Amino acid sequence: MTDNRFFDAHQRATVEAAMARMIPTDDTPGAREAGTIDFLDRYLSGIDFVFAKPDGSGFETLEGKQAWAWEQRIAALRDTYVAGIEELDRLARERFSADFVALTEEQQDWLLTELERPAQEQEEQVADDQVRAAWTPPEPALQQSVVEIGLAFVPLLALHTRQGFYADPIYGGNRDRIGWQVIGFPGPQSLADVHSGRYSVVDWFADRRGYPGTEDDRGA
Amino acid sequence: MARKPKPERADVCIIGAGATGAAAAKVLTERGLRVVALEKGPWRRKESFGGDELANVNRYNLWPDPLLNPRTVVRPETGATGPVVELFCPVPQMVGGGTVHWQGWLPRFTPNDFRLRTVVGDLPGTTLADWPITYDELEPYYTRVEWAFGVSGQAGANAAEGPRSKGYPCPPLPLSHYAKKFHEGCHALGWNAFPTPQAALSRPHNGRPPTVISAFAQQHGDPSGTRSSALNVFVPHALATGRFDLRPDCYVREISVDERGRAKGAVYADADGDLVEQEADVVVLACGAVETARLLLLSRSGRFPNGLANSSDLVGRNVTFHEYSAAVGLFDDPIYAWAGGGYVSASSFQFYEHDDSRGFASGGHIACAGVGIPLPINWGLPDRPLWGPQAKQMDRDYFNHSMAVAMVVHDMPQHDNRIELDEKVEDAWGLPVARVTLTPHENDLAMGRFLIDRNGEILEAAGAKKVYRVYIDKVTGNCSHQHGTTRMGDDPDSSVLNRWCQAHDVDNLFVVDGGPFPTGTGANPTLTMMANAWRVAEHIAERWPDRASTGA
Repeated sequence: MTDNRFFDAHQRATVEAAMARMIPTDDTPGAREAGTIDFLDRYLSGIDFVFAKPDGSGFETLEGKQAWAWEQRIAALRDTYVAGIEELDRLARERFSADFVALTEEQQDWLLTELERPAQEQEEQVADDQVRAAWTPPEPALQQSVVEIGLAFVPLLALHTRQGFYADPIYGGNRDRIGWQVIGFPGPQSLADVHSGRYSVVDWFADRRGYPGTEDDRGA
Repeated sequence: MARKPKPERADVCIIGAGATGAAAAKVLTERGLRVVALEKGPWRRKESFGGDELANVNRYNLWPDPLLNPRTVVRPETGATGPVVELFCPVPQMVGGGTVHWQGWLPRFTPNDFRLRTVVGDLPGTTLADWPITYDELEPYYTRVEWAFGVSGQAGANAAEGPRSKGYPCPPLPLSHYAKKFHEGCHALGWNAFPTPQAALSRPHNGRPPTVISAFAQQHGDPSGTRSSALNVFVPHALATGRFDLRPDCYVREISVDERGRAKGAVYADADGDLVEQEADVVVLACGAVETARLLLLSRSGRFPNGLANSSDLVGRNVTFHEYSAAVGLFDDPIYAWAGGGYVSASSFQFYEHDDSRGFASGGHIACAGVGIPLPINWGLPDRPLWGPQAKQMDRDYFNHSMAVAMVVHDMPQHDNRIELDEKVEDAWGLPVARVTLTPHENDLAMGRFLIDRNGEILEAAGAKKVYRVYIDKVTGNCSHQHGTTRMGDDPDSSVLNRWCQAHDVDNLFVVDGGPFPTGTGANPTLTMMANAWRVAEHIAERWPDRASTGA
């Protein structure tokens, strides 16, 4: 693995094209401009980019059982991507006689929707077993974190596109913080800003007026 | 595994250095006892925490990694043993426990919470029980914890609260935009609302500065060290005595017993993986209700073949979990419900107390918050597609314009809802994992529907232009609250612990987490857990030095 990448050129182009359908470019930047492919390709390159150091000075070196767990996890995610990309191209050639990257956006959307369908059915089947904890797309993820392994290819791609669009730029996506700008999130300039206590959102936080029905309820 | 020489015997050995273990350590050490705490996870300093949503919420930087710490679930109504579950009722396993990454809603339980069996009567299918202690007995300890820990709140604002001997040490935090909406909705409906008591400082207290207002709070550690947590408060208090030996990365595998059947100490694997036995006169379990039950069940011996303190066969039973759900509202004006972390909130106990006319028993705490973890990656709406132009448009339109009114279901205790040891699945240390067997009671689901409907009405009354109601149809373990696996009571046949949270079977063994709670109640439990831990620790300390020979 060179340059901290996992995908070969064709795989990378295919995933980048699919990510551009997940968060499309319109009058605002999308996955392509945010560099979500860089986020994902580096994540899958090994276990050297799992946790940024909290002061933004680099990445943590994983050791022991934690390293073992992440090696398992990354290996499982790679398998899902390799198989998913192959399936995407197989369907593309079967339906449109070309690789996925060569198709129109409409054709790509159609294929991704098609590929997502069995995953949705499977998801309903396993819903009772709660394999997936909180990442059940129809509902907000309430108090628990999202589970990656176990996700089918398209939901996994959607999740990673989202992460690459909105995670701190240190992870390689959200280039120039454009994901945050698209939705109006005043994120920190850097992890160091939060770590040092310089980052505050007090301007967005509080209403200067008091509680309804009290004499403080009169503006300020 | 090598076996290392025994360390010096301690007065008290506490297993788990989270909210309750640290509270007990503070009280015991300040009263002169020498305490060793064995914590499975790391001891992370504030410098190790950051404003990193991806690491903290999505990548198990703080949550337990399910590949290392799996749990399994059985749902009897499906007739099948469930697969390995990634996360079921997880709590960070590290010094400070869940208080490391929470925003800490700290309401008190009400007097009726301690006598729910009397209030409700018989509810078929449940094992509802009164607590062996009353609100009045616990009240002084609520006050001690609120003042030592640092809680911001408004005394008297919650109309359902019991009598209090003292107000809060700090006034409420500033009124967040989402809390304001909640107050407006409740005010329009004529319902009581109050600032949620929070584990944060609105002004300096006990030499600590006010809490920093960041977007990265709920489910994030605190790099500023200004939030009220066991890590920032109780641990330093205990260390300051010079009598606290806190050992992180020490995984207790078994509570050892002596020839008389009393607890002898704890056998643990240290950071090097070597086995060590720490002996102590008193052993206090504070691992959280699930892991405490697991440890008791792992501590099998010839004398205790079904696990320690389990002659009643009740260890692990009557477990309750507080499923979390919400109604979600969209507003025209921006609310920024991520600001302050999304959980500087307002609450209502309007539907907390039992009311026969509702057709179900008891009720629950409702409060406002951001939607889930309301930061860019993890924020969402119930009808947002997984991907595509519409998903992006909804992010743009509603990220700053949405909020939740949430509840935790007061799930009823049931004899067959329980924690056991899984027969097949082991954790990364080779020990059987906790297996959860769970069937929701119809009362749980009815209460959930009722509260979610009320939550939706609050959002509508506050002017939401659209409201989603996310009902629960099962208990998925999506909350970190856990109770009941070692219930306390006066009768050894129907409880594991006595009123002092001392095992009926083993007189120098205590449990101070949520395990002793006979009922889960409808409110966030950690304040009560810490108050109860304080009460028990004081009891242990007062009986020193003769307790090793006389028992209680």
